[in-house]
Amino acid sequence: MPKFNIYQEEIHPSPLMHTWWEFRKSHIAVLGLWIFAFFVFLVIFGPLIAPFDPLLQNPNAFLVKPSWDVSGSIRHLFGTDSIGRDLLSRLIYGCRLTLGISLLLVVLAMLVGVALGAVAGLTQGVRSSVLNHLLDSILAIPTLLIAIVIVGILGVGLVNSMWAISLALIPQFVHNTREVVRTEMAKEYVLAAKLDGAKNTHLFFYSILPNMYEMLVVQGTMALSIAILDISALGFLGLGAQAPAPELGTMLSEGLRVAYKSPWSIALPGSAIFLMVLSVNVVGDGLRSALRNRLQR
Amino acid sequence: MMLTQIIRKFNLLILTLFVLSILSFLLVYLFPGDPLVNLTGLENLSPEAHQKLAEIHGFDHSYFYQYWLYLTNLLEGEWGFSFSSGNPLWREIMQTLPASMELSAYALLFSLLIGVPFGFIAGFQHYKLSDYSLLTASVVGYSIPVFWLSLILILVFSLQLGWFPLSGRLSLLYDIPHQTGFIFIDIFLSDVEFKNDAAKSAVQHLILPTLSLTIVTASIIFRLTRRSVIDVMSSQYIQTAYTRGLSGLQVVMRHGVRNALLPIIPLFGMQFAVLLTNAMIVEVIFSWPGIGNWLIQAIFQRDYPAIRAGMLAVSTLVIILTVCTDLLANLINPALSGDRRAQI
Repeated sequence: MPKFNIYQEEIHPSPLMHTWWEFRKSHIAVLGLWIFAFFVFLVIFGPLIAPFDPLLQNPNAFLVKPSWDVSGSIRHLFGTDSIGRDLLSRLIYGCRLTLGISLLLVVLAMLVGVALGAVAGLTQGVRSSVLNHLLDSILAIPTLLIAIVIVGILGVGLVNSMWAISLALIPQFVHNTREVVRTEMAKEYVLAAKLDGAKNTHLFFYSILPNMYEMLVVQGTMALSIAILDISALGFLGLGAQAPAPELGTMLSEGLRVAYKSPWSIALPGSAIFLMVLSVNVVGDGLRSALRNRLQR
Repeated sequence: MMLTQIIRKFNLLILTLFVLSILSFLLVYLFPGDPLVNLTGLENLSPEAHQKLAEIHGFDHSYFYQYWLYLTNLLEGEWGFSFSSGNPLWREIMQTLPASMELSAYALLFSLLIGVPFGFIAGFQHYKLSDYSLLTASVVGYSIPVFWLSLILILVFSLQLGWFPLSGRLSLLYDIPHQTGFIFIDIFLSDVEFKNDAAKSAVQHLILPTLSLTIVTASIIFRLTRRSVIDVMSSQYIQTAYTRGLSGLQVVMRHGVRNALLPIIPLFGMQFAVLLTNAMIVEVIFSWPGIGNWLIQAIFQRDYPAIRAGMLAVSTLVIILTVCTDLLANLINPALSGDRRAQI
């Protein structure tokens, strides 16, 4: 007779736990999460790690080669740019600026988008119909195009491009929230809550919103990769962050002038953007297939 | 049923274009400076000329009247003048827009030719090695910033290897008069010597920008196709077809391909808008004389009439294309309705 098995503990994992377990099964997704965590670490602790000030110009070290080159020095791990700024520090600050701003924009767009989407999903009639039709036609326009349009109106600059991108990101959140709210409102647990006398706001915050978190995270990763690409694209085109600021896209376009002499000055910022977007996309993919697997079981 | 669909889409199109025209009219007032100058693009006017222009454009009447005049001018092709070049905007847009459309069209064509077949292969080989490797390639493909990709292509293929020209649309040796704006048609219509050489030069200039656009778009199209194929192949009618004793190839040809492609055709149409935006960036890098390059230069130079007209042109094009593909998809597949956003 087994004696030790008195506590027949049954585990009832939450849906969130299930998703996490499914997510962990994919090694690539976990690797992506680690890389993303590394970038977030840079965003938070960047200034503590960076060896130099990103704007500090060293007149004795123009275009120093990276340390793995024969003529490079370990003092500047990734070398310096055409006016003697340390590339490693600029990269760290660049990740901080690009990713930090993108995270901020996505959170902002998510808050506004979910609020508008909830209103659109909970209301019926003419108001809802007008909102939906306008939204659908806006959704067809790519975010970068909207951002370029808004920058054209507001004028060039980092803050303006931030406004532009967050405005451009909002419609997708509105659309998805609206869809989720619509489908959830037709389900029976919502009906039960309604019969208990719950008002619309109560319904949304206590019944529907907990079922939306995962969708929001997935949507958030997609929006984040778009935001990073758009911020750096605007910076590269010279419409976003302006020249001395260590933004990855801006650094790339600065490096362009000396590209034939120092290819690493466009290779490094570019690969930083690429790695950042790649990690976000891999995590998003992993989350999506984890959700799909969980729901299929 | 079909007619109501067409009418509904047409209504939506007209409504959206109407909103766009109002927005572009509002820009005249929102931009800094004299609204009249922003509207016409004519600077340094004498007071008399200013007075006369104000009368022509109804500036002493209500905003509604001004908007009405603005709308009729738009329809007549009088979009004002550019600050920087002084040319009529309508003509400039008609010169640059075809170049962008040409580039995007070729890129879309190649993306479809690459993305769809590979999507089918990966979908049928679901959860096997070939699927995973193609999927990995596609994640890489759509994570690459398009401007970085073009720079790498330039560095490798034009600076290092010297296979392709660095920038522009055609070698300066050939002087092709502007007729339609589509380079191959123009070359064909022109009466220069060495038509073949000119066409060859045009192809060489096209390859790198098209390639950088294609890599990004093809990976998105690949993912759309793959997901659709996987969904279709796991559905019950495919199982039924197998139980009826059809071979794998028969099942795929009779039931798989059609049903997998139908729901994603409108999504392909939407990719054109994304493509056009990416093309705007690529144009700047390759100095391609398209609308994106032109518009971004206009933003730099604070050329307000040009910004207004360029935005109106680009967004009109995007809206018309979207509504048309939407309508086309509805006509091909009437069962389609409701949510049709990209699932990759």
